[in-house]
Amino acid sequence: MSEPDVLVVGGGPAGVAAAIELAQLGLTVTLAEQGSRLGGAIHRQYVGQGESPLAIPGRHRRHWQGLALGLANAGERIRVMVEAVFLGVDGDSRFLLDDRRAGKVIGLSPKAVVLAVGAIERIVPRPGWELPGVTTAGGMQLQLKETGEAPTGAILIAGNGPLPLALGAQLAAAGNPPLAILERGEPWRAALRHPAAAVAGLRSPAHVAEAAGYALRLARAGVPYRSGWSVTAIEALRQGLLVSCQHVSGRTMQHRVAHLALHDGLATNSSGLPAPVVDGVAIVRAGDCREVLGADAAISDGLRAARTIARQLCPAAPQRELARDFERELAAARRMQRSIQTLCRAADWPIAPDTVVCRCEGLRRSDLDSLQGASSAREIRLLGRFGMGACQGRSCLASVKAITAEAGASFDITVADPVVQRWPLRPVSVVALAAFSDV
Amino acid sequence: MSGTLYWMGDAVAFRAGETVAAALRRSGIDDFGPALGELRARYFCGIGSCQACLVSLNGDSLIEACLTPAREGMRLSAALPLAEEHGHE
Ligand SMILES: Cc1cc2nc3c(=O)[nH]c(=O)nc-3n(C[C@H](O)[C@H](O)[C@H](O)COP(=O)(O)OP(=O)(O)OC[C@H]3O[C@@H](n4cnc5c(N)ncnc54)[C@H](O)[C@@H]3O)c2cc1C
Ligand code: FES
Repeated sequence: MSEPDVLVVGGGPAGVAAAIELAQLGLTVTLAEQGSRLGGAIHRQYVGQGESPLAIPGRHRRHWQGLALGLANAGERIRVMVEAVFLGVDGDSRFLLDDRRAGKVIGLSPKAVVLAVGAIERIVPRPGWELPGVTTAGGMQLQLKETGEAPTGAILIAGNGPLPLALGAQLAAAGNPPLAILERGEPWRAALRHPAAAVAGLRSPAHVAEAAGYALRLARAGVPYRSGWSVTAIEALRQGLLVSCQHVSGRTMQHRVAHLALHDGLATNSSGLPAPVVDGVAIVRAGDCREVLGADAAISDGLRAARTIARQLCPAAPQRELARDFERELAAARRMQRSIQTLCRAADWPIAPDTVVCRCEGLRRSDLDSLQGASSAREIRLLGRFGMGACQGRSCLASVKAITAEAGASFDITVADPVVQRWPLRPVSVVALAAFSDV
Repeated sequence: MSGTLYWMGDAVAFRAGETVAAALRRSGIDDFGPALGELRARYFCGIGSCQACLVSLNGDSLIEACLTPAREGMRLSAALPLAEEHGHE
């Protein structure tokens, strides 16, 4: 394998679009994806025979077909590596990939890098969120897309924003509609209070059509959509889960289910990623890991990243101009996201002392409170081990920040601390590390 | 079903191309064994982010059940004994 001009990390729409564009501009690309197939969160491929039983909106299907064709046409310019996990940058500025198929870690020294590692789902901790049987809504949806099979037994979806609707409709299509969809916000009331946000949301016909399709399917399956409801606690029963819910009015309700899907919004998957330039190598972020703008904008943002890099690597070459409506497209996506946020806004609730905050290390809020003397992010991490677990803080840091802010302390995770900023981004086997090779 | 893997010694059927986590779920296995702080490992985010689904492959390396494709004869077990041994330092 030879050294590529550009390393693209992440095989979702942003990374694939960037790779295709770079190849068309004459550059060689290594496209590294941690999963065993390309597609990312939105285009997770169905592994069964024939057609998936889920209705995938035509626009998403067309977008992916276009990208798959672009990849095929790029031929050898793009080397796709699957089951290859980006681990970070080592002390010699090599970009490390855990090549799990080969069972070894490799170090690349490309001229530029695109990071397109997508978004993560935000889950506000509540008692019991750490139990088996509780997943994120996106997590449940990905398995559903992959297998075409809904989990068996009663399912409850509790979340915020549009993803729970999509999941509910797809579960119904797969033959096991959820008991209900609980929405923390009160979108109808919010629309009356903020008509401009409602109008902004309606300005995207594609999204309106997608939402209407989901609503229709949910209505046909008789799935109630209850706004203003939050899940406040989850208990493990001998069989299944007991889920306690509360309405903004104070009313409460309990559900016995086999599976609970939670979702409190999307956030950029950026913790632990390297700085914009490492030893002269430009690192450009694209798609939801730069700004959460959704699946359509991720493609445009991949193109933007590719052209930014091409301008630096081949300044003499004729530049391909971005389509005139490119910025307009990003602005429209931004307007859509803001509209959703305004319509589904819901207050976070206080996190109780025995609630698990850091699942990796099994740490609770009371463990964080007992660090009251700790004033810096560094102390909270090194003394308390918050953000030091296997997930590198991707799941807990937002909650830790919110809790410490309540106490008047600051926990700014954006301030890089070389002592605690470490690679690998993921656990890596000692055997694979021992087999390390440069390209 | 097109193959068999083993979870804590028990046979679990899988379909070609699917992830370990999907095969375990179909077999009703939601609990992936003990985790730090007396918690349990389990499938959660599906995108390799939360690390709650780490399991041990062939008694050795830790892998994310949500990312790793199921393969014939894989021997999977709870991650914790291994995590404690190697620690994360
Ligand atoms: C779980 C989930 C479900 C979603 N469902 C919907 C939906 O139903 N409808 C909708 O419109 N939008 C949905 N979204 C949002 C939508 O997926 C995104 O807007 C869109 O996919 C963004 O594209 P992207 O290329 O930026 O990121 P992604 O599509 O997330 O792609 C990122 C890719 O990077 C890979 N990756 C991450 N870290 C590494 C690493 N360290 N090394 C190697 N590879 C890595 C991931 O495996 C993934 O394939 C969902 C998002 C998530 C997280
Ligand atoms: S389920 Fe989160 S990393 Fe696998």
